[in-house]
Amino acid sequence: MQLKKPISGSLAAATCGLLGALPPAPVVAQEAPDWEIDTSLLYYGEDNGRVKDGSLMVSARRAFDEDRSLSLNLTVDSLTGSTPNGAVPANTVQTFTGPSGGDSYSIAPGEIPLDNTFLDTRVALSANWQQSLGEAMRWNVGLSSSDEYDYLHLGVNARLERDFNLRNTTVFVGAAYAQDDINPVGGTPVGLAPMFGEDDENEDDDDEGRNEKLSKDVMDVLIGVTQVLSRRSLLEVAYSYGKSDGYLTDPYKILSVVDPVTGFPVPGLADEVPYLYLYEKRPDSRAKQSLFAE
Amino acid sequence: MRASCLAISLLLFALSTGQAGAAAPTIESAAPAWSLLKSLTGKVVLVDFWASWCGPCLQSFPWMNDLQQKHADEGLVVVAVNLDQEPALAEAFLKKLPAKFRIEYDQSGNIARQFDVQAMPTSFLIDRSGRVRARHAGFKDKYREERERQIQNLLKESPP
Amino acid sequence: MSRLRSGFLILAILATATLGGCASIGVEPWERNLHARADMQPDQRDAAIDDHIYFSKEASSGGRGFAGGGCGCN
Repeated sequence: MQLKKPISGSLAAATCGLLGALPPAPVVAQEAPDWEIDTSLLYYGEDNGRVKDGSLMVSARRAFDEDRSLSLNLTVDSLTGSTPNGAVPANTVQTFTGPSGGDSYSIAPGEIPLDNTFLDTRVALSANWQQSLGEAMRWNVGLSSSDEYDYLHLGVNARLERDFNLRNTTVFVGAAYAQDDINPVGGTPVGLAPMFGEDDENEDDDDEGRNEKLSKDVMDVLIGVTQVLSRRSLLEVAYSYGKSDGYLTDPYKILSVVDPVTGFPVPGLADEVPYLYLYEKRPDSRAKQSLFAE
Repeated sequence: MRASCLAISLLLFALSTGQAGAAAPTIESAAPAWSLLKSLTGKVVLVDFWASWCGPCLQSFPWMNDLQQKHADEGLVVVAVNLDQEPALAEAFLKKLPAKFRIEYDQSGNIARQFDVQAMPTSFLIDRSGRVRARHAGFKDKYREERERQIQNLLKESPP
Repeated sequence: MSRLRSGFLILAILATATLGGCASIGVEPWERNLHARADMQPDQRDAAIDDHIYFSKEASSGGRGFAGGGCGCN
């Protein structure tokens, strides 16, 4: 049974947002009348059977004249490997069931509880249009989308750049808005409700609940400046602010309940799951700021 | 809120000032003191500053070759000043794209400074009496017609 | 909210200082041969991959948005 993780969906939202099109390289229409296509392959792997990610990216770019260009990107991502399920290690064997029920896995004493039952494939598509506005200004608009079994991301982004000081300085501002829909495998667990196992009564199991679509809105703004410092160096500084609202919880993560005196897990409420674990619950909104310099 | 208002207005102010990469064409100013220009008085001179690493320069060469051939009899002289820091790269460029016009080398950038070059490529149109009549920054396909017309107008003027 | 304000203010000051006071920093238009090199161009794919990895390992992302640099032509 395959469990899907919404992490990579959030990833789509994170990366597609404000990176915009391929940069305005000095391409003149006559030099590149056709589509310029690039492919990249990424392998990311952590040790000890942890997360492994393989990605294939294909991007195509066409310059219509010196001022206008279109770029299209396709990414296919495949995530596998085990990942922590959120519970803490204990001095005893721990048993967990997956959100879809039916799967059950045990973790040896002292080991970090890892869930290795997932395989995730994501397809992401994005398109960007870039156009010059006068001699030293460019704007860029784009659409992004990403789809996997339990996560759908749709977004728009826009950017404006302006050059100053004989093009030694460039200021850019950007904004992105995305709407993500989450449809967890096995229905949506109620936050902070105990994990019961097969007979999980705390799952939203009325017909609406099992197929309940949850969503979140993400809004990002970005402002930055690039400055040529010398013949050989360049500095970029950028600040971004993001606000997410909606369902921000990871439906597949749980919390351990532990006795504060002994450190031992508290007994659970069902036979299949000997100890008490609660489904995670995160707040409804989150604000994020980041400062990047290179 | 006041701080963000301040930040936004600072940014808007900054965006509205500052120089763009290209300046408006200069009308009628004396050309810098350059001996080559003095020797070309009576001709219409197109002085183009270029470098081998500049994409639009690659595109402007065939156009300048064309111009030089078409209008040489009428008194047009195209002078392309190369600003490469490594002249060897300029020569490699010229092997790929031979120039049918005069090439000058200005590795130190002195001539470029005298002309106040603000973008790559930049070209200056100098009339028969040695005055700078136009300054063009950048090169795009859509600029060709307009610039060629300007050159033809200057060629119609009689020598001093 | 005050952290947001100070972050915004810092960047606005940085930006305007760069634009206003630093007109003398930089290079002449004809000195950009090294910036025009292919390996000095911002690579959107590399930036996307880096962001992907940082998000996966550290749940952090954002801030990247390169514009500018390069040969400065046209």
